[in-house]
Amino acid sequence: MIRSLYAVYGVIVMLGLGTAQYRGWSLATVNQVKNVPRSVRDNPGSYRSVYSSYHHYTGGK
Amino acid sequence: MSASGPTPPGKPQVKALNCPGCGAALTLRTFGNAVTIVCDSCHSILDATDPNLQILQQFKVATDECRPLIPLGTRGKIRGTDYEVIGFERRTIQVDGIAYSWHEYVLFNPYKGFRYLSEYNGHWNDVSVLKALPEVHASSPPTVRYLGETYRHFQTAKAETSFVLGEFPWQVRVGESAVVTDYVSPPRVVSSEQTGQEVSWSMGEYMSGKEIWKAFHLPGDAPEAVGVYENQPSPLSADTKNIWVAFAVFLLLLVVMMIGCDTLARNEKVFTGDYKFDSNQRAESSFVTDDFELKGHTSNVEVTTSTDLNNRWIYLNYALINEDTGQAFDFGREVSYYHGYDSDGSWSEGGQNDSVAVPSVPAGRYYLRVEPEGDPGYGATYYSVTVKRDVPQYSFYGIALLALLLPAILLTWRSLSFEHMRWAESDHPPVGSGDNE
Repeated sequence: MIRSLYAVYGVIVMLGLGTAQYRGWSLATVNQVKNVPRSVRDNPGSYRSVYSSYHHYTGGK
Repeated sequence: MSASGPTPPGKPQVKALNCPGCGAALTLRTFGNAVTIVCDSCHSILDATDPNLQILQQFKVATDECRPLIPLGTRGKIRGTDYEVIGFERRTIQVDGIAYSWHEYVLFNPYKGFRYLSEYNGHWNDVSVLKALPEVHASSPPTVRYLGETYRHFQTAKAETSFVLGEFPWQVRVGESAVVTDYVSPPRVVSSEQTGQEVSWSMGEYMSGKEIWKAFHLPGDAPEAVGVYENQPSPLSADTKNIWVAFAVFLLLLVVMMIGCDTLARNEKVFTGDYKFDSNQRAESSFVTDDFELKGHTSNVEVTTSTDLNNRWIYLNYALINEDTGQAFDFGREVSYYHGYDSDGSWSEGGQNDSVAVPSVPAGRYYLRVEPEGDPGYGATYYSVTVKRDVPQYSFYGIALLALLLPAILLTWRSLSFEHMRWAESDHPPVGSGDNE
């Protein structure tokens, strides 16, 4: 019983892994934005990233 | 338990007699085979081999004395053979001043002879007398070998008979004692009983109460087994072995998948550019790259930033923008690299390069909007940006490995806990077990 359950679970894990690899999943935090105006191409400053002026590391040891 | 050889075949019969002590009717079920019989009314132990049923012993019992779970006279089938319950005794050992009692049932078949059942806290054993002597090895812990199987010493204790009922193929007495030693190899137990110079050996095989109830067609449900018994087979040991075998198979598949994905991944460099960021300049720092084509199915895009940073940082706001649809993947990356030397020696923190995988990016024409930031006064930072399409992500293999490993580890831990509970009751408790567990 447990072996069968584990086999099913293992297959699900492997399928998930295969899907992650094929679809190019990533653990990175990325924000998706729709309908960015074409004018950004000519005027990059007109677009402001949501990460702009984010906390920046200023340290060192 | 005493041994008894096979009885001469004969038709099972019941003979009605009266107790010489109290006159109560007695039933002899093993006529000619029993050595002693106990009167249920006055608790006289009678000599069954004497036609006059001489009284050998009388004992007193408390009014709340336990009764056999399987009534005397009940017939059932054990391992394909019909047996009748003819005797019942309770035996008690003292461990650290605490009395532990178990019950033994004497079974009889006129063709097969005697057999026994033992019961403790809902755990049952089918017991038969050994036909050959096991080899005893005085190792630590001691072991015995019987029919090619090794049994590990579990417990030695002095057991006293504290209650008897029915017929017995030996001279039973209340108060008689024997040194009982158990050696286990679940689901079996080999036991020796020493009385004076006489040693008898028997083997028990674990049975569940449910099996006993079914074998003897007993009404209701068997009492629930309490705790872990010395030779109780672990319900998890087979599963634990199987799950590790399955894990090995999945691990192999994981490696095959990793090699396959690594081989099949495009891992295609689609863009690279070199840039300079001067944090002293007040002008707009953002810019866009040339566009590039992302081909194939929806997959990831890896953006790598390589810098010449030295004890400073740079922050890059990235937007990967689809030229046709206007869909953007917005993300920020900080690259910092610090190093130095102090009383602890040399140290470093961070790195000059950084990579990030943007997930699930459809095919199309894209460009990057890059907006670098940095502390004013640092001057120029030179960096390059490289974009790759469909790059294998190894972190998922690690996650999958952990996901596969976790159930196997949990099951193994539970299986080990079961064994820990078993041996905690033995003369060889695992390290960390309390004396009174």
